[in-house]
Amino acid sequence: MIRILTLAWLVWLEMIRRKDIYVLLILLAAFLVTLMALNLFGLGKAVSYLKEIGLLLAWVCSWILAVSVSARQLPQEERQGTIFPLLAKPVSRMEVLLGKWLGAWVVTGAATLVFYVLLAGMVALRGGSFGGVVLAQAWLLHLGLLAIITALGIAFSTRLHGDAASALTYVVTLAAWLVLPRVPDLALTARGAVQTGLMVIYYALPHLELFDLRRRLVYGWPPASGAAVLLTLVYGLLMAAVFLTLGWLAYRNKRFTRGALL
Amino acid sequence: MSNAIDIQDLVVEFPGARGGAVRALQGLSLSVAQGQVYGFLGPNGAGKTTTMHVLLGFIEATAGVARLFDEDVRQAIARRRIGYLPEHPDTYRFLTGRELLFMAGRLFGLSRAVLNARSAELLALVGLETAADRRLATYSRGMLQRIGLAQALVNDPDLVILDEPTSGLDPLGRIRIREIIAALRERGKTVFFSSHELSEVERVCDRVGILATGCLVAEGRMAELVKAGEPAVAGEPAIAGESLEQYFIRMVS
Repeated sequence: MIRILTLAWLVWLEMIRRKDIYVLLILLAAFLVTLMALNLFGLGKAVSYLKEIGLLLAWVCSWILAVSVSARQLPQEERQGTIFPLLAKPVSRMEVLLGKWLGAWVVTGAATLVFYVLLAGMVALRGGSFGGVVLAQAWLLHLGLLAIITALGIAFSTRLHGDAASALTYVVTLAAWLVLPRVPDLALTARGAVQTGLMVIYYALPHLELFDLRRRLVYGWPPASGAAVLLTLVYGLLMAAVFLTLGWLAYRNKRFTRGALL
Repeated sequence: MSNAIDIQDLVVEFPGARGGAVRALQGLSLSVAQGQVYGFLGPNGAGKTTTMHVLLGFIEATAGVARLFDEDVRQAIARRRIGYLPEHPDTYRFLTGRELLFMAGRLFGLSRAVLNARSAELLALVGLETAADRRLATYSRGMLQRIGLAQALVNDPDLVILDEPTSGLDPLGRIRIREIIAALRERGKTVFFSSHELSEVERVCDRVGILATGCLVAEGRMAELVKAGEPAVAGEPAIAGESLEQYFIRMVS
């Protein structure tokens, strides 16, 4: 465990010193301040529009951060040559993957918490509020979502360049987010192998929509049941474990030769 | 006592053009006893770095066996007693020198208390005490090489593998590395290092192996290897008056 935590600490330190998070935070704050200053479509007095757009921005920012941080970890180690002294230590490749994933997950989870706090502050300045329990549940489920996205980014990057792994993670997560919930409707109109294939995809890919509590936050609905939140979190961690295992299968016998990814 | 390194019939193939394979190592066998300083020589592309990469588990051999202290190199546990300095001193530029040593030590499971003392000792050994809290991005190449050597020694390894440890160093830096290797030998440590600097090898090595096109073409104790008429353990004997450099060129040509 100490090795996994050390590798995660390395990711955190790099993120803090590279200042990526600060850039996103400043961007988010700038967007929200602009939103507060404008009276778009005559909705200047309605807090709900600020909540809705603010939450969407927080989701997009954390998504970009999760993909970019996770997908670059392993290719960067290879490109810089730091993978050599790292693997010369008594560290297994599974520990490398887990350390990188944990670092990326925690750092994007912490950034998301800051996004939520920032948004809650902006909404409070406008005289509105979020339900505290729902906000906590929304962040917890967001963590589950980020566990899956970072695991996908790590898994793809075991065999791909950083840019290719990022692009693929964006495509898969976007498809899972927008298309997957519609797949059963498509399957109803299909027949035979196509129908089976669609249903396999439906169950194999992660259902990211399960982690979305934004409507509850925007419309002030009551909190979701604790059991449902817990089960969804377990589902997120299980999906992350599946992707990390697939990543490890691709990574465990990978040959590292200097300059292979240059 | 087991050997520090045992390699038997090692073959490594890389994918070549049109589905073919390129053999980087062709049945290499060698052993390094504990406490020896072993110089691994060969021209560029001879397979020195590939051999080291197999020993460190970066690449898996196509055939053959490689063991470190009787442990299969494919197991992470085999790397507990070794330290490694790569040819290019690449490292995490956002860390300070002290943080790099801390990170390396934690990967070996060392406690904070042990690491604090060990870091101070190693920083003094490589002459980087005053630069310890500077980011590695501000280090010169020579300083990176020295901090790389310090991280390779953080676990007080029994076997130190050094890939071209003096490349890019000024004369003072080279002397310092030689002194460190000599100090390691005095403490009974095994050093396995590759170099193009034959004069370095002559000064510090007990035993030398010469590699060419993936095969060991000569091997023996330093004193025997260039002694006229004395057969080396492997390879042809030296000619009268032949230096290590002349012998090396003859062997790899």
